[in-house]
Amino acid sequence: MTQALAIFIDAYRELNARKLFWITLAISFLVVIVYGSIGFDETGVSMMYGLWHVESEFIRAGTPWAKVLYLGIFSEFIVGLWLAWAATILAIISTTSIFPEFVAGGSIDLVLSKPIGRLRLFITKYISGLLFVLMQVTIFCVGVFLCVGLRMGEWRWMVFAAIPLVTVFFSYLYSVNVLVGTWSRSALSALLVTMLFWFSLFGMQLAEGLMTNFKIGAELQIEADEKSLQRINARMAEVSAATQPSEAFKTRTSEQLDIVTQRKDKTHAALATLDRWHGPIGVITDLLPKTDATIGLLTRWFKEDEKYSILAMVRGEMESPPSEEAAVEADDGENFRSGRQRDAEVSRRMEKETDAVSAWWIIGSSLGFEAVVFGLAAWIFCRRDF
Amino acid sequence: MTVAHANGDFAIDLRNVEKMYRGKVHALRGVAMRVHRGEIFGLLGPNGAGKSTLVKIMMTVVHPTRAEGTLLGRPVGHKPTLGKVGYLPEHHRFPRYLTGRQALGFYAALAKVPGPHRKARAEALLATVGMTDWANKKVSSYSKGMMQRIGIAQTLMNEPDLVVLDEPTDGVDPVGRRDIRDVLVKLKEQGKTVFLNSHLLSELEMVCDRVAIMVQGQVSMQGTMHELTVDSQRYEITIDGAAPEWVGMDDSLRAEPLANDQTKLVLRSAEPGAVQPLIDRLRLHSPPRTIISIRPVRETLEDLFMRAVTDPLTGRSLAPGAKH
Repeated sequence: MTQALAIFIDAYRELNARKLFWITLAISFLVVIVYGSIGFDETGVSMMYGLWHVESEFIRAGTPWAKVLYLGIFSEFIVGLWLAWAATILAIISTTSIFPEFVAGGSIDLVLSKPIGRLRLFITKYISGLLFVLMQVTIFCVGVFLCVGLRMGEWRWMVFAAIPLVTVFFSYLYSVNVLVGTWSRSALSALLVTMLFWFSLFGMQLAEGLMTNFKIGAELQIEADEKSLQRINARMAEVSAATQPSEAFKTRTSEQLDIVTQRKDKTHAALATLDRWHGPIGVITDLLPKTDATIGLLTRWFKEDEKYSILAMVRGEMESPPSEEAAVEADDGENFRSGRQRDAEVSRRMEKETDAVSAWWIIGSSLGFEAVVFGLAAWIFCRRDF
Repeated sequence: MTVAHANGDFAIDLRNVEKMYRGKVHALRGVAMRVHRGEIFGLLGPNGAGKSTLVKIMMTVVHPTRAEGTLLGRPVGHKPTLGKVGYLPEHHRFPRYLTGRQALGFYAALAKVPGPHRKARAEALLATVGMTDWANKKVSSYSKGMMQRIGIAQTLMNEPDLVVLDEPTDGVDPVGRRDIRDVLVKLKEQGKTVFLNSHLLSELEMVCDRVAIMVQGQVSMQGTMHELTVDSQRYEITIDGAAPEWVGMDDSLRAEPLANDQTKLVLRSAEPGAVQPLIDRLRLHSPPRTIISIRPVRETLEDLFMRAVTDPLTGRSLAPGAKH
């Protein structure tokens, strides 16, 4: 315990000595100040402590959408953009030299010659490296918690869920950073490989997301086309039962059937092609850490509390929350293909699909990846002659 | 110097220590070495002889290919035993963001020194190494000599039974070197064992009870200075004129002509009694030889070192580094 405590105190001193730690903290403070400047009154929403005011029928003091917006700004923009991107880049830069310096000649000798096992030393040092993010996010969340409490009149403890989520998210990347740092003993290599890995993850997840988007769009199109075909056939049957249809009607109906059938076949073919690519990419993303999904859990948990997420606002669902089938049934296939409702429905189904993945799977499988990378780094550390 | 120790009571007792690095560099080739408790032991050898590898194996920094033996009575590699060992590596690097005092506290905590003892111990050692005034300054501002002083203090924080120092006087000025020597002597007086790895032969000679010389991954020789030099001890007698005809008839006495018509007679013996008959014989010789000087000669550590690193067949220095 004495040894672990000493390593943690040392890690704190190390962070304390880094200017980036304080710069990140200062920016976080500014973000909290700006976040706290958003307020709601009877007529709408104000920003920068009343400097700007936007009138809104739906987003104003006392409405549920005001809460959705305020919490959504935190979970989607502040956590999603600041903590999970900008602050994480600063954190990686700050912590990237921890292990290369730790295993440098003359430094590691002093530590390994103490009565502490290599594995225990490595684990403790690894955990202490997460202090940067842990401390930053904790301080940040306290600020946000106070803002939400003071602005919304509710003390939302869920805000603190960002602490483990962002820390775990960072730890996925940190494991790669530590592996490269331990193996190469080069801070620059560790930084470059970690950033490359992160952007690759981002690219993979983006590709997977776009494919899912296209796939859902194609499925919706096929559903709409099938309904169109049924409708055209039904109309044809109706007309045939009542009277002898004219040749012109028959020709127009036949052309309509051809157009819709061809479009449906094309969409089927496109869907098959998408499936061919989506499968392998899905397997790869299953094996890799789910950075976006991990951060996305915060939005999901807030939504479970509030019923709607900020995405619902973006889809324009404030006026009339949609039913499951409304979008498909409202239009025929042709209109649906280019309609705004199509995008809204795709977004809604994607959100539903994302929400269907359990938090245990998202975090568990990501931690599984981290455990493998960590294990490899620990093995190198324990076996190496320094 | 004499060291009181029970027979077989070794601080370090190594046998068959081997290390083969990847790339097939055979750094250690069956090293055997014994260090008695309470003595100052010096390890020397040319660059690449395997000294640092041997020290690092003892300190668990390097994994041996094979190692038998004990450190403070426990098998080499036994981690808890390192709590009784103080180690100062060569070119050690303390975290630059720590002050000297913080560094002492940090490494003491890693050595499991209880919290309440750390502060008092640090103060005492800072005073011992003359760093009290610099204790609250960041180590990044320290000179090389200051780093060595803090390094020495760090090795002693856990009140070790065995102190292993790798080039402790590297970069230290003469005053600092004397201070460090004094510390080593005090440690010995307290019954601690000191294992010293240094290139400064004269310093080792001043403080070490026993030495070992490593060459090409093996211990070439080890023992007390007396044991190692007894065969080389001799008397050199300088006389005026040529050597008498009876000189050289015996292996124990030989002559070396000098300039100015003088001759150096070399009598191989460490006993003063052995030289008396020779003096008498020179005086009684006709014509009598004038004795200009008589001096006992013993090999220095440098002589021993040079002898150890010289190939007896070719007379050339052995190639540096470990054998491949």
